[in-house]
Amino acid sequence: MTKKIPWIIKYRPKKIADVVDQDSAKRDFTLWLKAWLTGKPDKKAALLYGPAGCGKTSLVEAAANEFRLELVEMNASDFRRKQDIERIALTAARQRSLFARGKIILLDEVDGISGMADRGALDAIIELINESRYPVVMTANDPWDPKLRPLRDVSKLIGFNRLSETHVLIVLRRICMAEKLECEEEALKMIAKRSEGDLRSAINDLQAVAEGYGRVAASLVQALLGYRYREYNPFEALRNLFNARYIWQAKTAVTQANLDYDTLLEWINENIPKYYSDPEEMWRAFEALSRADVYLGRIRKSGSWDLLSYVFDMAGPGVAFSRKRYKFKFAKFQFPQKISKLAKTKHTREVREGIAKALSRRLLTSRTRIKSDVIPFLHVIFMHNPQYAARIALGYDLTDEMIKLLAGPRANEVLAYVRKYRRQRT
Amino acid sequence: MASREVLAELLWAEKYRPRTLDEIVNQEEIVSRLKKFVEEKNMPHLLFAGPPGTGKTTAAHCLAHDLYGEEYHRYMLELNASDERGIDVIRSKVKEFARTRVPGEIPFKIVLLDEADNMTADAQQALRRLMEMYTANTRFILIANYPSKIIEPIQSRCAVFRFTPLKKEDVVGRLKWIADQENVEYDINALETIYEISEGDMRRAINILQAAAALGKVTVESVYKVVGLAHPREVREMIKLALDGRFEEARAKLRDLMINYGLSGLDIIKQIHREIFSGEIKLPEEYKVMIADYAGEIQFRLVEGADDEIQLNAFLARLAYVGRKFKV
Repeated sequence: MTKKIPWIIKYRPKKIADVVDQDSAKRDFTLWLKAWLTGKPDKKAALLYGPAGCGKTSLVEAAANEFRLELVEMNASDFRRKQDIERIALTAARQRSLFARGKIILLDEVDGISGMADRGALDAIIELINESRYPVVMTANDPWDPKLRPLRDVSKLIGFNRLSETHVLIVLRRICMAEKLECEEEALKMIAKRSEGDLRSAINDLQAVAEGYGRVAASLVQALLGYRYREYNPFEALRNLFNARYIWQAKTAVTQANLDYDTLLEWINENIPKYYSDPEEMWRAFEALSRADVYLGRIRKSGSWDLLSYVFDMAGPGVAFSRKRYKFKFAKFQFPQKISKLAKTKHTREVREGIAKALSRRLLTSRTRIKSDVIPFLHVIFMHNPQYAARIALGYDLTDEMIKLLAGPRANEVLAYVRKYRRQRT
Repeated sequence: MASREVLAELLWAEKYRPRTLDEIVNQEEIVSRLKKFVEEKNMPHLLFAGPPGTGKTTAAHCLAHDLYGEEYHRYMLELNASDERGIDVIRSKVKEFARTRVPGEIPFKIVLLDEADNMTADAQQALRRLMEMYTANTRFILIANYPSKIIEPIQSRCAVFRFTPLKKEDVVGRLKWIADQENVEYDINALETIYEISEGDMRRAINILQAAAALGKVTVESVYKVVGLAHPREVREMIKLALDGRFEEARAKLRDLMINYGLSGLDIIKQIHREIFSGEIKLPEEYKVMIADYAGEIQFRLVEGADDEIQLNAFLARLAYVGRKFKV
């Protein structure tokens, strides 16, 4: 399952017209790009801005495809230092394209650059824009961030709208058709609604439900994605965490997950083996998670909440950077099985708890310790000496159910003796 | 009713538990100090600390018995921090209990709080306030395996008694006595084996003796058989699966142990530790040592309050990693 192509990649638009909505952005961007290709752009760079998942990167990819331009894609956070930009981007910007095609240089998520620390990076981007022979396109969620001002000054600003539910719905329906999926309209509406215009997360959610169950029904969507608003649901949080490229992404994934700390660790605990298959990576991830858990335990014991940051460091970046090399994977994450297992074994556990309770008063020890230190030996007695077991059952007034649990296959023999002794008593 | 007495059998850990301070055959130092409290009809708050099965809870009950007589349960509130649902429940029970006066010559009642080291620091702070609030007519006896997990302010308000693991002659002597009372046939070296396996934990030693006796004559073989039967095979299977790189199957076994068998993470890691050095697990010696070291680390983390499943998964993942390296 991990080999599957993420639908956000499989279904990305091939042509500008395929990009949903965003008519004015499409027009402005096409005009700017054509001006570049004819050699007369008014600004050498374009800054595409708008909420997450509204199609900024998709438009650039579609345009590159349509105009047959090579897309040189870089994540802005790649260059923490000026040299990095010079090494990678400037080389690309100066050299002619390998197959004599034009290029588009795309710097994704420029608002991921953190102001002062990356002063050099901003300068380097400006330099890149000035020297480039090719169009430079940047994307950002919030272009009005003061630190981006130097970039705004040299760029054409192209704004994107938040997508409407209707537009998200159109794309979801299209994918359902293409995948030949059985999809309830109601379910798609729910996914669209909770995406709040973020098409990427809507497609990811659709895939999570579809891959998990083979169909998309409202009840499944409710169960899987029943989390409100833009706090991250566990699936999103895991997706963001495991596929994080940078420390801050991994950390954001865990700090913004809509889960309490224990539940968060439980979700990660459940899904580490779903994402990592290499034993070394898996162990490193579990070790990081277990360190997070140790910090959480210390917080609980000592009340030092200032340790919480270390919990997030270990559970987030610690788990994400256990891999030997980065690779985007669409893993099939799942609910913590512990919870469903607890539900299934409820009855047995209640009977065991009953035995523990009956014995703990008499043996002056906790139910926990009865379960670990006494019940195992009772099992031995009940499974090997039914007659003696029956006498102990009488001594502690054990119920038939308790006897069945303790004696397993020999329950009937024990019960027969118990009945016989009870008759003798009266 | 008479026939019930004959037919019904008790667990020997209950049947042969000392009822009075005089019946306690070990921890002499502690017992003589406790007897002083009985003589004076007064005592401070007490903290009994020491490993499991060394007689802490029994000593508390004997002390109460000697102070108040056969009806001592009326004067003592028994709580177990592992079983009560939080400090609020404990607080309301203590409040209810301390409210009423009980006639008699002892001017206080006793709150016995077992496994107090399982309480969080915050809950212990609340407990400390409780101890102060009712100190006029109530004494607390706190019981803990790890005294270091009891906060300073509580320790300083208590007379601390440190219980030590029982000596070989004490355990073997007691087992012999019980076996004789029960007309059980035994080899003396079987009793020594029980002592070694139970590591000075009297309750565990008596449980093993009773289970072995249920199978017939108590021999070294039957003792090992009982211990083997009592420890679910799942532990060994889990280790083997993990070493074979089948992590998810190993994890399923782990969950089975915790949920179906009701075992705690500590129980499981201790059993793993025993298994590692058994002949059943085929690994080069140096790997066994390395894994044992990691098991110790995991055990320490669990004692510190970490989560059972997460820690044990980390351990299993390590086994899967080591197992692969070893195979290559």
